[in-house]
Amino acid sequence: MIEMRNICKSFGTNQVLKDVSITINDGEICALIGENGAGKSTLMNILGGVLPADSGAIYLNGKQVRFANPAESLKAGIAFIHQELNLINDLPVFENMFLGREIRSRLGRIDLEAMEEKTADVFRRMNIELDPRAMVRDLDASYKQIVEICRAILMDASVIIMDEPTTSLTEPEIRRVFQMMETLRDQGVGIIFISHKLNEVMDICERYMVLRDGELVAEGKVAEVTTDELARYMVGHDVRTEQLTRTVRIGEEVLRVENLSHRTFFRNVSFSVRSGEILGFTGLLGDGRSELFQALFGAQDIQSGMVWLDGREVRIQSTEHALELGIGYLPRNRKENAIIKDMDIMENASIVTWPLFARNGVIDKNRHAGLFAEQRERLGIRLQRVTDPINTLSGGNQQKVVLAKWLAARPKVLILDNPTQGVDVGAKEEIYDIILNLAEQGLAIIVLSSEAQEVIRLCDRALVMYQGHIQGEVSGSTMNEHDIMRLATGGALDAS
Amino acid sequence: MKAMETGRKTGFSSWLRLRWSTESHFGTVLVLLVLIIMQTVVLGFDFGSFGEWFSAWGRNWINILRNNAGVGIIALGMAFVIIAGGIDLSVGSTLVAIGAASMMMLDIGPKGFLGNLGITGLPAFALTIVLAVLMGLVLGVLTGLLITKGRIAPFVATLGSMKILRSVTQHFMQGYNPRIPREFLQLANLQVGGLMFMPIIYWLAIALILIYVSQRTVWGRQVIAVGSNERAAQLSGVNVNRVKIGTYSLMGVLVGIASIIQVARIGTMDFANAGSGYEMDAIAAVVVGGTSMRGGRGTIFGTVLGMLIIAVMNNLLNLFGVPPFLREAAKGVIVIGSVLLQRKGNV
Repeated sequence: MIEMRNICKSFGTNQVLKDVSITINDGEICALIGENGAGKSTLMNILGGVLPADSGAIYLNGKQVRFANPAESLKAGIAFIHQELNLINDLPVFENMFLGREIRSRLGRIDLEAMEEKTADVFRRMNIELDPRAMVRDLDASYKQIVEICRAILMDASVIIMDEPTTSLTEPEIRRVFQMMETLRDQGVGIIFISHKLNEVMDICERYMVLRDGELVAEGKVAEVTTDELARYMVGHDVRTEQLTRTVRIGEEVLRVENLSHRTFFRNVSFSVRSGEILGFTGLLGDGRSELFQALFGAQDIQSGMVWLDGREVRIQSTEHALELGIGYLPRNRKENAIIKDMDIMENASIVTWPLFARNGVIDKNRHAGLFAEQRERLGIRLQRVTDPINTLSGGNQQKVVLAKWLAARPKVLILDNPTQGVDVGAKEEIYDIILNLAEQGLAIIVLSSEAQEVIRLCDRALVMYQGHIQGEVSGSTMNEHDIMRLATGGALDAS
Repeated sequence: MKAMETGRKTGFSSWLRLRWSTESHFGTVLVLLVLIIMQTVVLGFDFGSFGEWFSAWGRNWINILRNNAGVGIIALGMAFVIIAGGIDLSVGSTLVAIGAASMMMLDIGPKGFLGNLGITGLPAFALTIVLAVLMGLVLGVLTGLLITKGRIAPFVATLGSMKILRSVTQHFMQGYNPRIPREFLQLANLQVGGLMFMPIIYWLAIALILIYVSQRTVWGRQVIAVGSNERAAQLSGVNVNRVKIGTYSLMGVLVGIASIIQVARIGTMDFANAGSGYEMDAIAAVVVGGTSMRGGRGTIFGTVLGMLIIAVMNNLLNLFGVPPFLREAAKGVIVIGSVLLQRKGNV
């Protein structure tokens, strides 16, 4: 039995865990749920020895323990299976099982036979049909998950933390992992199951714990709650936050998409957006919305489906083509996807429009300088010299530079993926103002966000995605966190 | 921050450190100057008059530049390829292949291609040059397609074409010794005031054009964007594949020009050995010139400086009388040393 008592943790001035106490019994599967940023990962990282707690204590079978690093936590019998699996594709299963703890014979040679034998033992014990000599590369996602779990068993783990193990799994694969979890439970292992999917929580867990804003707001027996109640616990309220006000002048349809599908990321997606409208797209991590819009922007293949722009059918071949058609795209993860660190602010702000204003292939520097001066004024970008390196700017100002490069291209449709990611609160409000302003000027805007609040405040209506398809639309009275969370976790809206 | 910290201290060493860390070519130029001074000293002042000394010094310099013009031109293309995040190992073999083709065109013997068609003199020369450049372009586009559409790592793709081009050239040129018209050699050996500096003019002219291309054109800047952050470039509407294919095409064209210069300089070509090692010399020049092998950072001007450093270094070793086998070692030291120095400048 593991107990965490009165755990507090702050990052700078931001208190992410406030006096949280939880208990996990042997032989039980316990769900830990909460919105992104509720503190789940931090709490589990403390238990796994990845992070130290500011205060509070951990008790293992009544005795206080301290974990300075993940190895100590593991030694105490706590195994943490991260969302990104720690397996090496080019090694066979049994070698992966003993990674870093290889069995050695007396002469220091790695004892492959013993490792293989022990692996086969564990598989027999767990009723798993899997060849220890199979290469990890050839396993499907569920078996990779199972190998990770078996590795935990091999280390005699008494508690296993599973961080969203089912996100990348298909339905039958999920069944397989669940079966495995049940076998483990019956053998007395305690499991902490972190998930966003409330239906799964209802399926497999005995108990639930809900974190919100760093506090444990609810816990109890799963048999005694409904998914609705769980969703409400996660969000905390069913009060709708007031939408930002603006004069809405919605015009003609600009972009229309029908039955867009991709092999793995999304399927049968249809929607349309009008000029002057702000359309939200939300859902949980891995719902496929980012990939969907990257595809629409020509950076990803589309298997099937049709796209109309201004009433004309278009086939978007490349990002260059999308730009020519009048589609703008501000990607998420600014550092990886939007910032060119070897170039200065001015160049980062004009890369999109170089080809549009060039004469015989030569960049029109004056034109770009003029354009950027305008954008700088309009967006309130604070900087010293335009020739400074881009990473001398704050996150908010970097984001505005990225926005500026797209506005200079005068797109008809502007896709904003997590536009306020990594910017501080003040800059966030400024960016909202800019977006509202753009919509008033007649742009069709699509905002992708995983923050329900952001979608509610900014958008006229929103589509909620779940596992690659549109689960439902919210607008007006259904535009609230509760309904969004219900749709995002695979549920449906009440018939009304 | 950095400027403030060093600004507090005064004196030469802090001035040096500040310049070194803030001005991109400062260190490179400094190294080059030191080498040139050493070279001047080693050459000696044992001459009757200033005029005699100057003419000896000048001749030495023209020799240095002329001998390195070919690799210098190739290095310019290599800089674009490396800045965009690629590499091209096939330049030496491409040079031989184009050289062989050009010589077959020009041959005044019974097998000469153009001669048999009745084309001689200037039209034949012009046609040969155009075809050499075109052949380079086509080979470059093919390399670019292999790397982008074929998704083969640049190192592997160009390693393959390096092997193929040289081996095929050697096979077809067995026992065939084309004779080049003497007038064609004027292209590289034209004497003005008793000095032969045509290749130097080609090199400098191309360098100036490419410095402009790199700094001012859409494509030139897109090359840097792609090398620095390919994903961000793509998501900014840059056609990444076209930019990459462009760098290999430019490389091919420049190798074509270098090949013509090579043929025009000597009038014959050793198909087994000519151009071998050029890829490494060109890469060395690019690296010494301050370009990052990871792409994104580097300049064409720096590459010219890098080539000059290697060239002057070679000359210096020659003047010192260092045994030939040890000279390559010196090149190695220069490459590693310059990269270490540049790193220090960035601290």
